[in-house]
Amino acid sequence: MTLLDGLILLALISVLVTMLGYRLPVIGWLTSALFAGQLLVLFLMSGLGYGGDTIHSSVALSIFGQPLSWRFDALSWFFALITIGAALASSLFAAGEWGRQYRQNGGNPGLLQFSLALNVLTMLILLASGDLLALFIGWELVSWASFLLMAMAGGAAFSWAMRYITYATGGAMAILAGMGMVYQMTGSLQYADLMAVAGQLSQAQVVILSLLFGSGFAIKMGVLPFHLWQAGAYAETPGPGTAFLGSISSRMGLYGILVVLVQLIGLGRLIEIDISFTWLSLRDLLMWVAAITIILPTFTALRQNDARRLLAWHGVGQGGYMLLGIFSATALGSSGGLMHVFNHATYQAALFLSVYAVVHRTGTADLNKLGGLVTRMPLSFLVMLVGIIGLAGIPPMNGFVSKWLVYRSLLIEGMPLLFVASVIGTLGTILSVYKLIHNMFLGQLRAEHSEIREAPWSMMLPMLVLSLIVFITGFMPGLALDWVAAAQAAVGLPVLQHSLGGVEMEQGGLDMTWLVAVLFAGFGIGALLFYSTGKTRHVNQLDNYAGGHFLTADVRYHYSDHFYAGLMHRIGHWYRESFQWLESVLISLTGFVAQGASGFYRIVQPALLMLVVVVLALWVVR
Amino acid sequence: MMTLITELFLMPLVAFVIGLFMVLMMRKIGARLQRRVGPPFFQPLIDIIKFHSKETQISHGLIHDIGIIMAVGGYIAAETLLPVPGMDGIADKGGIIALTYFLMIPSLGLALGVGQCANPNGSIGISRALTAMLAYDIPFVIVIFGVSWHYGTTNLVEMVNYQQANGWGIVEMPILALAGLFTLQGIMGKQPFEIYVAPAEIATGPMVEMGGKYMGGLFIMQAFQFYTAGVLYTTLFLGGGENWPTFLMKIFIVVSIPIMIAYMFPRYRTEDMLRLMWKWPVIAGLIGLALVMH
Repeated sequence: MTLLDGLILLALISVLVTMLGYRLPVIGWLTSALFAGQLLVLFLMSGLGYGGDTIHSSVALSIFGQPLSWRFDALSWFFALITIGAALASSLFAAGEWGRQYRQNGGNPGLLQFSLALNVLTMLILLASGDLLALFIGWELVSWASFLLMAMAGGAAFSWAMRYITYATGGAMAILAGMGMVYQMTGSLQYADLMAVAGQLSQAQVVILSLLFGSGFAIKMGVLPFHLWQAGAYAETPGPGTAFLGSISSRMGLYGILVVLVQLIGLGRLIEIDISFTWLSLRDLLMWVAAITIILPTFTALRQNDARRLLAWHGVGQGGYMLLGIFSATALGSSGGLMHVFNHATYQAALFLSVYAVVHRTGTADLNKLGGLVTRMPLSFLVMLVGIIGLAGIPPMNGFVSKWLVYRSLLIEGMPLLFVASVIGTLGTILSVYKLIHNMFLGQLRAEHSEIREAPWSMMLPMLVLSLIVFITGFMPGLALDWVAAAQAAVGLPVLQHSLGGVEMEQGGLDMTWLVAVLFAGFGIGALLFYSTGKTRHVNQLDNYAGGHFLTADVRYHYSDHFYAGLMHRIGHWYRESFQWLESVLISLTGFVAQGASGFYRIVQPALLMLVVVVLALWVVR
Repeated sequence: MMTLITELFLMPLVAFVIGLFMVLMMRKIGARLQRRVGPPFFQPLIDIIKFHSKETQISHGLIHDIGIIMAVGGYIAAETLLPVPGMDGIADKGGIIALTYFLMIPSLGLALGVGQCANPNGSIGISRALTAMLAYDIPFVIVIFGVSWHYGTTNLVEMVNYQQANGWGIVEMPILALAGLFTLQGIMGKQPFEIYVAPAEIATGPMVEMGGKYMGGLFIMQAFQFYTAGVLYTTLFLGGGENWPTFLMKIFIVVSIPIMIAYMFPRYRTEDMLRLMWKWPVIAGLIGLALVMH
């Protein structure tokens, strides 16, 4: 039995334990312990993260003569680390008081833990897949496991989950078609066989294969134009489930793209193919899709009035940076894209958990019904602050490093428009996350929230640990870049030469250890200057300038709704909701065809029956 | 190592002193254009001391304080990324992209501090300020891309070396330099793009709840902001600093241009700023970029 068998066995045990013991009051803690155990096994395999040899599973099957195998390489290890880490944080968050309150409100925390364990198991199976058939089986398992997590709350969540599974089924069809094509070309579904023929495939075959596999996996990522399901489906998932889904679930699509497009077919093939009548190659086209995936969802997020929706839309947008970086096919860019997977998972989980901490205390995530909570929940504020700095990609948090790597590679490659597009995405993110933190934590505290307390420790612990990781991997990005470099080597991308502080380059590198140290020294001097002079007096929040009005706590005095009025005045009419329209056209078209088919059947059916009767009658009277 | 640490202390200090002179220059220019005498020589320094020694210092909470600390501290740190004659600081460890994002930290601090004040006028001011940032940063990043591509580096020290060997950037990239100058007006928050600072009607802008040393912190921030804008533009287009006399001359001239334009203009609304910034400097920037990259 190898370590990989042990890991998957432990994941399976976690599923069984949560399935049998979902009524136990301690199930949350138990599941967390089991996730911690899985993380421990993963650490025993940590040689992989630093370029160690692939670990094979001793389980091997054969279906219809097709051998199925499972193995873990550096890329699988990197994704598995994020998956189990996110699951552990989510599970811990739900284990204590959150779970109790959820049970009181009619929810089933045991089912939530079970869904988490099931998701982790299926994701590990997917990440371990050693051939295309195993990949497809893992892919389907992941789809249905996430469907369970999304749908378990019922109601609106269920209809969003249905929307997801409709998309996912379409994606699976595309992947299946791609596999059929591979099988027809090579006579096998082994990775090695596809890799061997990848160089000889005709351009048309490469285009069709990448479109089939690419769109199939992109649906999970929420890449445009397949993004409409994601924000709603994630936002409606109960509490920590959202954090898990938002941080890692959709990146399974990226894993698929990395394996099939990058490792097996090779980006070199995509770069060769020019698209007629444009100056773009197929790779460039995919990069533009990624850039649009950054911009449009980000500016959709800007208009959301629900904290969960806002974050979920950013999750869609940030996926674009990962794709953009990876498709750049350079050492810098692809390391940025891969590192962003890790970074995004850490800050996005922290952000979702801090939103759910607020929801836990106040009962709402509506950005127009909160405000001023920093005085009541300072630690949650801190977590959200760290998270939004990471999400916006501002130093000193880790999100800046991965985005810097992507920007830098676009600069070296000479792709100005993509560079500008990715910066526009970052600027939009800054606007939107400030609105998030302002409307929830800053401004006026509502009278009904004046007595609420900070979230309990069982919830604070995972939040604080996550934000610490966000900061430390921003301060010393080399820690995460080691794993990224090993993953790059595993899929055949050029490997980034890095140091603990970032990248050393003749033409302008990055050393975060210095930058962050100097930044905090600057803050220190600023604090010295501030606190050494003039004694301050704290005043009530209503003790401020109101243009002659007399303020009381009854009057709402918090600027939250339509926060960027000036901006919307200019760009508001650019929101055409074309994709919503396209989706609805597709839905009505399908409905129309289905109705037509059933109508045709109904019209034809009596005629056919008549025919049969007539024929029978003729046969009888003959 | 010791020289580096000395530089790290000296660079913000120099920036602060020069920034104060730039504030003085702004007031003097304004005064002369309006046929006044203007303030005495030490007025900016006196103002800062006065703000910090006020008896009433109203705090609206911890984040209000931390916001000011971030605003001032962020600029102190950012100044060490800008090479000046004889001192490179940690300029080779960050580069232009890191600097651009570093400069958002003070703005974020200010935004957080204003947000804590629970005054909707302040929040509206921040909403305008962030919108303005979205307006001027798009042409600004086009300029940054063009410049970095032209010099083949993001390292500001290398950019200065290149220019001192091959001639100034403004000669080789005149259109980008023009676009950069246009965005400078927005970055510095000067008329016609000063609605987000609202200096003329403090009660309806981000500074509504700022008094005493809070205002003093913002005053220091303004001094740093002028200095940063001047040095950054000089480094990108005007050959950077060979020696202090010419360097000082360059940065003061750069800063005086937006200031002189400012006193001749009224104000645009936020949405008009977006329209303007997304039109002319972007067009100029893209043309300049095409010329640089062709």
